Amino acid sequence: MSHEVVKFTIDALRQMNFDVEDADADTVFGPAGVDLDSMAVAELALRVEDAYGVKFGEEDMDRLAIMTIGEFGDEVVRRSSATESVSK
Amino acid sequence: MNAGAPATGSRPICRGYGEAARRRARRSAAVTGIGLLTPLGGATETFEALCAGRSGLGRPPAEHPVAGVIPVAGLAPPVDPTSVLPPTEARMVDRFVVLAIAAADAALADAGLRVGEDVDPARAAVVLGNGFGGLTIFESQVLGYHERGRTAVHPYLLGGMLPNMGAARLAIKYGIRGFTSTVATACSSGAYAVAEALRLIRDGLADVVVCGGSEAPLLPTIATTFRNARALAGDWADPADASRPFDRRRDGFVLAEGAGVLVVERRDHADARGAAGYADLVGWGTSTDAHHPTTPRPDGAGAAESMCLALADAGLDAADVGYVNAHATGTKLGDTAEARAIRDVFGAHAPAVSSTKGATGHLLAGAGAVEAAVTAMALTTGLLPPTLNLDDPDPDCELDHVRKTARHTIVDAVLSSSFAFGGHNTSLLLTRASTRARRDPTGGQ
Repeated sequence: MSHEVVKFTIDALRQMNFDVEDADADTVFGPAGVDLDSMAVAELALRVEDAYGVKFGEEDMDRLAIMTIGEFGDEVVRRSSATESVSK
Repeated sequence: MNAGAPATGSRPICRGYGEAARRRARRSAAVTGIGLLTPLGGATETFEALCAGRSGLGRPPAEHPVAGVIPVAGLAPPVDPTSVLPPTEARMVDRFVVLAIAAADAALADAGLRVGEDVDPARAAVVLGNGFGGLTIFESQVLGYHERGRTAVHPYLLGGMLPNMGAARLAIKYGIRGFTSTVATACSSGAYAVAEALRLIRDGLADVVVCGGSEAPLLPTIATTFRNARALAGDWADPADASRPFDRRRDGFVLAEGAGVLVVERRDHADARGAAGYADLVGWGTSTDAHHPTTPRPDGAGAAESMCLALADAGLDAADVGYVNAHATGTKLGDTAEARAIRDVFGAHAPAVSSTKGATGHLLAGAGAVEAAVTAMALTTGLLPPTLNLDDPDPDCELDHVRKTARHTIVDAVLSSSFAFGGHNTSLLLTRASTRARRDPTGGQ
């Protein structure tokens, strides 16, 4: 599933007009990679929340901003599994 | 003559205004750049079409949100948001911001002004007028929220819709770090922003002010409230006939979008860099009707007062003014009140009068800035554009109308007025350029 989230994330960033031509799971969100500002991180989180039913708090934003796309995918999967186990 | 009256030939209605202003030391301000986006096109296209009597109004195309909502509208040229803003920021930005920045880009290019090279960024200022803010993107987000909930609301919404975002994003784009502000006096916002520019320059607070106004009101809710208020022109067989200021058959205004931006510059600053002026901005006046939220004073007293104040501020007499670019939108009450105000202020010294809204429609907060630019271009070219569709002047609006064709005459001073919902009246006075370099009177640059 992490692979699917990585693909979803790259597609979302493309829709947000970021240059993701060479992006993959190892690309960072920070200035050395896609270079997201805080509003773009917030938008990306919102898109993932909408698609995968996970939740990110304000306290998560700084940590998300320095992840790679792959780490972000893993994080979404982890939170998604936790949400499922809670709902069970 | 009364001891308190100005030592001039002003009409009695203007006596007593601005004695202090007349004594105040002034600095001249030059209009050195113009950028327009109107239903007639860019600046040169707009002025040429106005003088040729061509309309920019038509039926909204089928795919437009106001198609079927209003029978006629004025659409500015399409602008790709990514052509004026970074692509990652351009997605959630209202059209009023995009139009403002596109017009400002054109004005700065026209002025040949590079912020940081030709002007100290801390001595450059921005004052833009806007009435509604970004209601189009706001409306889409409201609908999204009610359909899909929290995640439909974009985190960038405010950065694209707040009324100050035209000025703010322009400052960011060009690194302008001096005074920046946004004026919201409805349909006089654009004129008031230009008046603010003159004040900033006179007060020594800026060397260059990028000023003007923009509006993007063509969304169903706004079109419908104006229509329900019976303020809009009806369904004319030819939509180009719908906007007809001062005409006996006028039945309301035509809603339009667009932006006008002027580069207003301290005259010696303009001279030092060899910039060619269109005109000098020499006076402004504002007054308030304090009468009704949406209806002008029928006697035009508030309108007359703003004109008197502008004359006094410039130290000019009514007889000096050769042309008035009227606010006249095509409403019964507004045009009549303004005509009365012009007669009261100018009396026997009747200047030529026209309203450009017959061809452009009413750009609301953009109107005053577009019309200030048009008056500057009239001074440069010696061409006074006619009021389109003024076939049968209303006897209640008796004036020296410029109609049918442009009037070729050299005038030294022109006045442009804008009035607004809320009773905010603003008049601007411009005179022929006194910069060492001047614009080509044939309209070239």
